[in-house]
Amino acid sequence: MDSVRFLELMVSRLLRTGVLVSGLFMVMGLGLLWATGDASCPSGVLSVDWVLFGDPFLEPSHVLFLGFFILIGTPLLRIVASATAHLVERDLVFALLNVSVLLILVVSFVLGVG
Amino acid sequence: MAVYWVIFGCFLVEVLFYAVFFKISRLSALLQRVICFNGAPRGMQLLFTLYALTIALGSGFLGALLGLGGGVIMVPLMVFLLGVPIHMASGASIVAVVATSSAAASVYVRDEVTNMRLGMFLELATTLGALTGASFMAMAAESLLKTVFGLSLIYASTVMWYQLRNNRRSWVNKPNDWLAERLSIGGSYYDEARGEQISYGVTRTMGTFGISYVAGIVSGLLGIGGGGIKVPAMNVVSSVPMKVAVATSNFMIGVTAAASALVYIRHGFCDGFVTAPVVLGTLVGSYIGARVTGRLRGMFLKRVFVAVLLLLGLRMIASGVGL
Repeated sequence: MDSVRFLELMVSRLLRTGVLVSGLFMVMGLGLLWATGDASCPSGVLSVDWVLFGDPFLEPSHVLFLGFFILIGTPLLRIVASATAHLVERDLVFALLNVSVLLILVVSFVLGVG
Repeated sequence: MAVYWVIFGCFLVEVLFYAVFFKISRLSALLQRVICFNGAPRGMQLLFTLYALTIALGSGFLGALLGLGGGVIMVPLMVFLLGVPIHMASGASIVAVVATSSAAASVYVRDEVTNMRLGMFLELATTLGALTGASFMAMAAESLLKTVFGLSLIYASTVMWYQLRNNRRSWVNKPNDWLAERLSIGGSYYDEARGEQISYGVTRTMGTFGISYVAGIVSGLLGIGGGGIKVPAMNVVSSVPMKVAVATSNFMIGVTAAASALVYIRHGFCDGFVTAPVVLGTLVGSYIGARVTGRLRGMFLKRVFVAVLLLLGLRMIASGVGL
C-alpha cells in the first residue's frame, strides 16, 4: 500500500471512529439525563478534570460534554496524524502547514483569543 | 492493521492532551458559563429535546438532499420555532457541522475524490477566518447576527436558483499556476459518470485562498459550514472539478468548524440540552438523506427551497431589524 493511500485510509477511519464514539457518548449522556431526571449542569466550575475523571454516573452532563470534546478533537487529530505522515515522507512544506494550523488553534484556545 | 494502531494511538494522544492541557492552564473557569435550561420543569426539558431532535433530523435530511449544510435550515427553525437565542442556535449548529462534515469526509476521502493537499493548504485560511468570525460573533448583538444570517440565506437561495438555471456548466481543465505547481496541488479522480480518470490543475490559488478566508469568517460568525462560498470559489476561480470541490470543501469544514466550536464553547453558547439533540438529529438525518438522494430527483424540491430559503432569509432580516 503506498503512502498516500495509507494516509487516506487512516484519515477516513479516524474521522468515522471519532464521530461514532462521540455520538455514543452524547446518546448516553442524554439518556442518563432523562433517566436520572438530573437536569443540573454543574453550577460551579466545568473543568475537564470533571469531564474526564468525574463520576459519569453521578452527573450525566459529564458524559455529554466528553462527547462534544471528542467530536471537536476528531478533525484536530486528523491534522496531527497527517502532520506525522508528512514528516515521515519528508514533505516538510505540508508538515509545516499542518503544524501551523494546529498551533493557531491551540494557541488561540490557550490564550483565549476570540 | 497498522491503520488501527495509528488511530488508537491518536485517541490516546487526544485523551492525554485534554488531561494535561486542561490541568495546566486551568481553562476550567472559562467553561463555567455553560448554561443549561436549568429552571425548566423536567417535562418541558424532555419536550424541548424531542422538538430539537425532530427539527435537526428534518434539516439534516433536507440539507443532504439539497446539497446544503444542515445548519442553514436548522438555525432559523430553532430561532423561530423554539425561541432559542441565535448565538445558542449557531453554537449547536457548529458542533453539528463538525459531526456531519467529518462523517461525509470519511467517505469522500476513502473514495479518493478529496484533494487533501489542496484542502490542507486552504485550511490555513479557513481556520484563521473562523477564529476571526467567531470573535466577531461573541461581540455581535443578536439583531446584527440575525440580519447577516438573513443575507446569507438569500445568498444560498440565489446560488441554488442559479444552479437550476445553468444545470450543465462545461468544465475546462487548466494547468497549475506557479503556487499550485510548487505545492504540487493538482490531482486526479475517477469520475463514475464518465467512467474515466480525470486529471485537473489548480489555477489562481491565491484568489481561492483569499475567498476561503472570507468563507471561514462567515462560518465562524453564523455557525454554518460555509461550503456555499468555498465550492464556487474552487470550481469557478480555480477550475477544480465540481465533485472534487464539494469533497475538498467538506474536508476543510471539519477543522474550520472545530476552530469556531472551541470559541462558542468558551463563551458558553453550546448548551448541552440544545447541542446534543441537534448533533444527533443532524447526523442521523443527513445519513438518511445521503442514502435517499441517489434515488430521488431533487429538482422539484430545489425549486421549492429557492422560495423557502428566500422567505426564511427575509423573515430573519425582518426579525433582526426589529420589524
